[in-house]
Amino acid sequence: MSGYNAADVPPSRARIARKYLRRRAPISWVGAILGLMLGISGGLFYTWSVNPVVEFDTAPAQLNPADKTHYIVAITLSYANDGDVIRAVDRLVNLQLEGDPIQAVADTACDLATSGYADTERGLNALYSMMRFYGPQGRSGCADELIGVPPAAPTIPALAQNPTPTLTPPASKTPTLTPVLRPTASPVQVIIPTVPPQNTFALIDANTFCDVARSGLIEVYVYELNGSVGVPGQAIRARGGGGESVFFTGLKPERGPAYADFQMTAGQSYIIDMPGQSQPIDQPLQAVPCTTPDGQQTTISYRVRFRASG
Amino acid sequence: MLRFFVSLIVGLIIGAGIGIYLGWWQFPVEYVDSPASALAEIHKDDYTLMIANGYLANGDRIGAEERLRVLGIDDVPGHVQTVTERFINNSRAVADIRALVAFAAAFDRLTPLMAPYQLVSAPELGP
Repeated sequence: MSGYNAADVPPSRARIARKYLRRRAPISWVGAILGLMLGISGGLFYTWSVNPVVEFDTAPAQLNPADKTHYIVAITLSYANDGDVIRAVDRLVNLQLEGDPIQAVADTACDLATSGYADTERGLNALYSMMRFYGPQGRSGCADELIGVPPAAPTIPALAQNPTPTLTPPASKTPTLTPVLRPTASPVQVIIPTVPPQNTFALIDANTFCDVARSGLIEVYVYELNGSVGVPGQAIRARGGGGESVFFTGLKPERGPAYADFQMTAGQSYIIDMPGQSQPIDQPLQAVPCTTPDGQQTTISYRVRFRASG
Repeated sequence: MLRFFVSLIVGLIIGAGIGIYLGWWQFPVEYVDSPASALAEIHKDDYTLMIANGYLANGDRIGAEERLRVLGIDDVPGHVQTVTERFINNSRAVADIRALVAFAAAFDRLTPLMAPYQLVSAPELGP
């Protein structure tokens, strides 16, 4: 009986024999790769569709087009007050608008002008603020034709702005009337004012302070033009709290001739002026609570200064 | 056959892990077309500041209030007060704080914290 001799086995049979004789891999690569693909697909489906990352820290660039428009309007409105073009452009860049961000403002204004946005005064003013922003930057859009040239920006007096002294214009020369002598009638002199009434005093500043000893007090100081000599006997008017009060400088000599004060009622607001001699202050003085540096609660006080304006 | 299924399950587990990592950390969903109400707080604050400056420019408080409602805020005066106090507490730019304080004043939301920022500065008088 002869033994097994490989040389006697045909080649095809030898290949089959080797297939069953070799050591099997511990894993099925086909199964593993198939599982991997299914797993990744399932994982992505779960994380992108079923349970996506919760939206937070949304940036302006991610806003929908309507809210991007609101944002652009807000940027130009802010620019209308602070005039800071660099800040405005930075904010526009954050929106990641396509192309030139300033031109994008012009295009947005164009879109708004062709919609019903400009039908209201509020919308029209917003469009004007946009045009005042992109116009000086050399950009243009269809809003320029549809809306027209924006009027000069309104000037709203703000408490935080430094008051600018108003110079008194020089009086124009009044022509001297040549008296006509008539033997039967006395000459009649008609006095026509050639200079409109001017404010004699102007507000310098209005500061707050918090002091228990002088709680809720409006301290008023009235100075000559040089700003150091007090003017006694000047009437100050406080309007608010359902009425008005007039008080005078110089009635408390220990505080100097420039001084007058008025006691506010807590929670009320007051407008201060010098009747017939100054414009009222821009914003009411409100008797709101305040805390002193040593932690005591009291009502806020104000120190208002007027000065002769020439 | 058992070897195939075991490999498939192992592959599935590893693949799901990779998929979750990719989907949540590496390539998370990026939202577009989001509403302004979803803005991050810092951007909401900046938007509020812009509206405050706009109010100072045109004096239109009602318009400013409407524009803030885009943020999905019900209590606009309360929001203005909160943002203003946050600016003060975070020592933000004084000009920005003053704009917000003036805006808060328009809503009668002045608080003692805001009082120092109502100051009116004026050039010093000459002798």
